[in-house]
Order: sequence, then structure tokens, then C-alpha cells
Amino acid sequence: MRAPLYLQPRLEPPLDSLLEDASFLHSLVDSLGSPLNLLLPDRIVENAAGFRGVYHKHHLAGRVYFAHKANQASSLVRRLTATDPAAVGIDVASLRELRHALECGFTPDRIMATGPKDPEFLWLAARTGACVNIDSPTELDQLARLIRAYDLPRTDILLRLSEFEASAFATSGTKVLSRRSRFGSPVREVDALLDAVERHQGTVRLTGVAYHLDTTGVAEKAVALESCVAVMDACRARGTDPRIIDIGGGFGVGYVADAGQWERYTTELAEAVLGARPALTWRGHGYGLRNEGGTLRGAQALYPAHRPTAGPGYLDELLAHPGPSSGRPLATLLLEHLYDLVCEPGRALVDQCGVSLARVLDVRRTGQDSDDLLVRLGMNAGDVSLEEHGVLVDPVLLPRPGPQDRAEDGADEEPVGVYLAGNLCLEADLITRRKVFLPRLPRAGDLLAFANTAGYAMDFHAHHAQRQPVARTVAVTRQEGSWRWCLDEEYWPITRVGGPVS
Amino acid sequence: MRYDSITEAIGNTPLVRIDPAVHGLRHIDLYAKLEMLNPFGSVKDRAAWSMAGPSLDSAAERGATVVELSSGNTAKALALLAGMHGLKFKSVTNRMRVPEIKELLLLLGAEIEELPGQSECLDPTDTDDPLTRFHQALAGPDTTYLHTDQYFNPRNTEAHATGTGPEILKDLDGRAPDWFIACVGTAGSSTGVARALREQDPEVNVVGLVAHKSDFIPGIRTIDEVHQVGLFDPATYDTIESVTADEAIDGMLTLIRRCGLLAGPTGGAAYHGAVRHLRTVDTELAEAGVTERRTAVFIVCDRAESYLSYVRQRRPELLGRPARKNSAASLSEAEVRAEATVIDTAEARRWIEDGQPRPLVVDLRGPHAYAALHIDGSVNITDEIFDELVRGGLPFSKRQPVLLACPIGEKSARYAALLARMGHPDVRSLSGGIVAWRDAGAPLVRD
Repeated sequence: MRAPLYLQPRLEPPLDSLLEDASFLHSLVDSLGSPLNLLLPDRIVENAAGFRGVYHKHHLAGRVYFAHKANQASSLVRRLTATDPAAVGIDVASLRELRHALECGFTPDRIMATGPKDPEFLWLAARTGACVNIDSPTELDQLARLIRAYDLPRTDILLRLSEFEASAFATSGTKVLSRRSRFGSPVREVDALLDAVERHQGTVRLTGVAYHLDTTGVAEKAVALESCVAVMDACRARGTDPRIIDIGGGFGVGYVADAGQWERYTTELAEAVLGARPALTWRGHGYGLRNEGGTLRGAQALYPAHRPTAGPGYLDELLAHPGPSSGRPLATLLLEHLYDLVCEPGRALVDQCGVSLARVLDVRRTGQDSDDLLVRLGMNAGDVSLEEHGVLVDPVLLPRPGPQDRAEDGADEEPVGVYLAGNLCLEADLITRRKVFLPRLPRAGDLLAFANTAGYAMDFHAHHAQRQPVARTVAVTRQEGSWRWCLDEEYWPITRVGGPVS
Repeated sequence: MRYDSITEAIGNTPLVRIDPAVHGLRHIDLYAKLEMLNPFGSVKDRAAWSMAGPSLDSAAERGATVVELSSGNTAKALALLAGMHGLKFKSVTNRMRVPEIKELLLLLGAEIEELPGQSECLDPTDTDDPLTRFHQALAGPDTTYLHTDQYFNPRNTEAHATGTGPEILKDLDGRAPDWFIACVGTAGSSTGVARALREQDPEVNVVGLVAHKSDFIPGIRTIDEVHQVGLFDPATYDTIESVTADEAIDGMLTLIRRCGLLAGPTGGAAYHGAVRHLRTVDTELAEAGVTERRTAVFIVCDRAESYLSYVRQRRPELLGRPARKNSAASLSEAEVRAEATVIDTAEARRWIEDGQPRPLVVDLRGPHAYAALHIDGSVNITDEIFDELVRGGLPFSKRQPVLLACPIGEKSARYAALLARMGHPDVRSLSGGIVAWRDAGAPLVRD
């Protein structure tokens, strides 16, 4: 075998020390079954502080909102509930997420309702006093009707805008094409939207504008943010005084620790697609790349798993980026125009907050004509949907402690490339279509820990198909030097071992 | 030399020997093919003229727009050629990464479209990558595009097989060099030149240089990216080696400062890669006791001027200037605290109302922010302009009291300290800035 193409995960405290405690993790899976999700609620507070630190650096006021859809757990939401109300809020995208945020203790002034909304969702948001991120003029009319019909309090709204074009506002001369989004109202129709806000003045209060761009490109976001400043100035000219520019999420997470590993892997993947080296993927899957007469075509459909700047670092880079038309740094623009910043990181706010565990059930060759090894896990592709999001990263092998830890023959202590198969009776159920390199061949009873799965990967696609168990989730905290755990639904930030803190 | 059209000046570029004292090779004569001396400034002039030239007249008849995926020299040459024929040129790119090139293209009348970045919430089943969409648009009905398609167009390679390559042979008195070293962008020049040289002598050693994977060198692709180029054939190269951005700049510096060649980073990368590769060979030749001289040629693609911001970003010390006088940046935090007079909103309002004489209020924010809301009667001098002004001396009379305001009172305090140091007797800074002013409920106006 060539040198193993590791993609080792980035591990930070406290996730790194948790993964060193193999006997604790094995005992958890022994008690609660495989798969099992673990959450580290204390880490989300640190992450929020990281984002707020970037705000402070640029002298900006405003909240960081956790985009709840990234993870459905209660412990994370409850832990955030107990943080500074002026610093952290929650972004809910469904009726049940709104209910969950309320029952976890978020006061409505800290809740932002976004995404596609049904009437019940709109009603409860307005009823309780959450801020509504308005997606379209129709939605604004619908909200205003509900408020009048049910005599609800005047509701704070943000206008979500889309289809920004640099040339629309700028003098930079270039046209920055943006990724299309199905959310938000086109910025060129903003006048009609502001007319509607004025018509509904008795029912809604405009507090700002918002955008969400699904892109890693800083330049596109700079165009959007500068356009939002222009729209806010237009609101001022009309006599309203909105304060907030909500720049959405999309700040990214670095999953792979080492840039060199990522570069080597992606190069070898291209070579494999071109046939210049043995396949690196199940049945030669190309991850969006294809070989057309020796030329590589298509686009690599992979999340950039090694990212030198992600999360707060990316926000910092964005805020320091010059506005395409004014040339002034975006943070300076916000500050000079007296606007507050709001952002809604999902994935980045739960960076390092969770891990998904799976037990190794057996290891075998795929067939007589192949040397490929198949490791079957007590988990399926829906339980840890890294593949679904194009995230490539190795699991951490946690040997089962005890006598069988000693290799019987020593032969399997070599690095090895294996395919990871799930527990569904489906040919397609592979945890990842990539050959995964591990420091040695796993044995039945070992655990594989998929690190950093709290953002979208942990329970986003989990389902009850074929009646396989869906992962239980536990919250893990460090107390007096040892790990404590409880079921996610039992976690409250005030609870310690032996009952609530008085 | 007298020409009817600037296009006749494309090609026939000089081959200049690099002084052995600079490169230190004892058995090899190293020559630079100065493609930067083409009329539009780069090696791409040849490819652009070869690809677009034959179609420009018919394109003009149907009012077509010339379009190319290029963020650099090909776009530059095509924009000039298109302009000469009354055509529009559109450059579509994955990000224009060098600002000077972008502005130069705009000056040439090019339209630039920047493709969107990668999706953050990736959908691996999405087939709608931006380049596919671009090609769909070009292939659509009623298309009025002339797409030169530099990465797949054989006329790109042809320009070098019939031009650049034979010119090198001619200047070496009909002999092919032992080594030919070229950076790989579209692979057009390296493939075309290699073909011409090998026809003369199949033993020519061709070294392809790519950018180190995590680095960016304008005009060069990384080892992954070259596979996406239709003209790229690994069999063209005896060796493919990578060069870092730092090495490219080192090479560029040597060419500029020691050889009198005003080369850009791509040429620098070619020089650095050539010397690095040849040094090993040179040692082997010495050990084998070979006495006859060998020859190597590399290409200098374009000129340095367009890459100053590229250099500034990576090696600012190369463009370092001594600290200028009257600079607010030169004051320490402690000096600002000790020397700036700072007043709060209430005091500032009283001063503006009752001062004898009243202070001039200077708002240091950007013009749009000022236009949106400001303190009544204030004037707007954006910090960048103010910075320039104070360099020359005090911009106000010493008898004119001044209140400086910025968003949060940080920049204004710095300038207040600086102006005090420059001898102004009464300059004050609004503590907490316009933000504090607003939060205190003091009036802000738009005129």
C-alpha cells in the first residue's frame, strides 16, 4: 500500500481529551447502544464568545444567533439560554424549533424566526414577540393580517434580501455573480417592499435587513453587505430608523487538521479519477469529477475540509474586507453608519461540540476478486451524514479496552484502507464512499468516533427506516476532573451531579 | 520598423542570455525568451491573436461579443483585439485575484463577470456548477458570442508551435536547447514550443512548472488544475515540478534587480524553477567531467508592473518606505491617551452651542455614512483624506477650534493628539464618537 491517505480530524479541547477516555466512551455505548451521539454543551458558549470577540475587535454591537437547525439537541439550546441575553440569541426555522427555544428558556426578544413559515409559525412568533425575518412581500402581508385579526402586539421584522449584484450599487465595474437562493426578496424590488412596510406600520416595526448567501466567497458577501447598508440608508431617508444588518451564516468549519493531508488527498483523488492510480472510492465514485479523454471535467463536489480560516476567523476576514464600491472595510461601514451586526452561524457555532460513536460489528473482504476490506458498523449513513454534505474526514479508532486489545498475531497493526458500511440492508448504505485509512485494522467491539459532527451531520438525516435504532444523544460535561453525562433531554445548565446548584 | 497594425508586432521577441554570474551554472547557458515584450505585454498576445484573429471580421458583422474564461493576460490581449475591431469583450473568471489586472481590463473596456464561490452547505448531488452554466449559456440558441476557449483551442498551441518555438531555434542557430522550462497555465505555450523543439531534436528535455498546491501564482495552475485543461498532456513534460509563491517572487527579484528584466512573478517562477532544476544537472555534468556547453531556455511571460499588490500582500517589506512625518499611526496608545483632549456628548453640545468662536465639527467617516446621518453643521473629511492632509501640515487655522468625530471616538482621539502635537491649541475629540452621540439622544440630521 502507498502511504496511507489520512484525513485526520481537527480536535480541540474538550473534544480531544474526551476522545482520549476510551473506557468512558465504551461504557456509554455499552449502556446506551450504537450509534450514540455525544454533545459538549460548554463548548458552544466558548464558540459564541469567539464570534463576539470578533464583534468587539471591530467595535460592533449586536447578537450572535445560533441557527437551531444545525442540531436538534436540547442541551445546546439550554446551555445558550443561560448566557448573556445581550450577546446570544437563537434563530428558529420551524414552529417546533420555536416551541423548543421557548421551552428551553429563551425569551422571545432573543428569538429570530427565519426560513419558510406556515401560518402557525408566524402566529406563535408574533404572539410571543419574536423577531420575524421576512422572506417575501406575501409573507409580510400574511403576518400583518394575522396581527390585525388576532390583535397581536406590534412585531419586529427584518427584511431578508437576495439577488445582490455589485454593479447595481457599485462603481467597481465588475459584476460579481452570486449563487441563486430561493430565499429573500430581490434587492431591486426593495422599494415596493418598503412601501408595504409603511402600509403595515401599525402592525410591524422594521428593525433591519438580512441576507443569507450559501457561499464560501467573501467577495459575494461583501457585495451583499454593502448593498444592505445602502438599503438601510434608504430606510432612514424614508424616516424609519432600523438598526440591524443580519448577515446570515456560512462561516465554515475546518474538519481536517492538516493542510498537507487535504492537499495530498485531493490530488490523489484527481489522479484516481484519471486512472493514474488505484481507486480511492467505492466503485470509482468521482465526487463530481469525471474523466473525459484524459481531461478532468466537472467540479469537485467536496466541502473544503481543511480551511485555514473558518468560523470567527472567516467573520473577521469578511469584516476587514473592503466594500466593493466604497473601498472601506465592511466593519468600518457598519460602524460609521451606526448599524448593529447580527449573524447566524449554525455549523460554526457547534464546531467541536459533538461526536458520533459507532461500534464495529465485523470486518471482512468485499469479495473473492477484491482485496477491499469492509468494516460494518452499528450505524448507517443517515446517522452521520458527512457524505451527504461532502465532508471527508477520518473517524478516530477507539480500541476496546481489555485483553483483546493485544494483537493476536500483530499482522493487523499496519495502517489499512477500508470501506465503512452501515447497518441497513441496502447496497448504497456506506458511511462514506471514500476508502478510509486507519492506523490499524479495526476489530469487532472497537468504536469508531466521528468527531465534530454536531453541525448538520449528527442527526440531520437520521431516520427510522428498517427499524434500526436512531442514535440517542447525551450531554457530556467535565466536573471535578472527570466526565459526567446525562441524556440530552435531562440536561439543564443549572444541574450538577447530585441535583441543581442552589 | 514600420507596421500597419499593432498585431504585426506580435512575436519575434528577443532571446536574452542570463549572466552566468547570476545563475551560477557552470556548464549551461541559460536564455530567457522575453515574451513580456509582445505589444500587449505578455506571451498570451500570440495565442489571443491566433485564436481570435481569423474570426474577428465575421464576429464584427454579427455584432458578437468575444468571451473568454480568463483573469489575466489572455483577457488583456483579447480585449485590445476586440476593441480594435469594434467588438465588446467579456471576461468570465473564478475570481479576479490581482486588482491591477482587473482595473486595467476595465480601462480596456472589458466587461468582467466573477463566478460565484463554492456552496457552504454543500449538496454533492448538485450538477449546476458555475462553469457548466457558463458553457450552457455559450451553447444556447441565438448565441452571439465568439468564445476563444483557450484551454481547449488547438490554435492556442499552434501559435507557439509555429511562432515561439521556431523563433527560439532560429536564435540558437538552428539548434534546439537541451532544456526547455515553462510554467503551465493553459499549457498552450509549453506544448507548442515543446513540439517545435522536438521536431528539431527529440532529445529536448521539457520541464513543466506548476504552482505549489496551496499557493497562488498568477497565470500558473496547480497540479490539480492542469488536469482540467484540455491542452494539457502529461506526456509533453519530462518532469513536472512545483514552485511556491515565495520562490516566484525571489526569481522575479533576481530577474529585475540583477538581469534588468522587468519580469512578473510567472517569469520569476520560471527562472527559479529552471535554475533549481538545472543546478542538479550542472553538478552531474561537472562530476562526469563534461566540457561541452549545454543550453536551456525559459519563458518570461509578462511584466512586473501589474503585480505590485500581489507583492505587497506577500512581501510588504520589498515595497517598504520609511515612516512619513505627521502620521497618526506613529502615536502609541499611551501618547494618544495623554495628549488628546476628549469631551463627551453633553460637553460637545454646549461647546457647539455657546463656543466663542464655535468649533468646526469634522466628521471623519465615509461620505455615504455622513450623508445618511451627521451632526448638524459638521463637515465631512474622510479619515483617508484627512490622513493625507495632515501630512502636509495643519489643515486649519490655529484660531479655529476643532471638534473631531468618528464612529466611536478612537480615530478622532488619535488625530486630536496628532494635531495638538503639530501645534493646534484647541482640538478636541468626541468621546464615544457618533455612536455615543446617537445613544445619548442628541440630534443627527441628513440635509
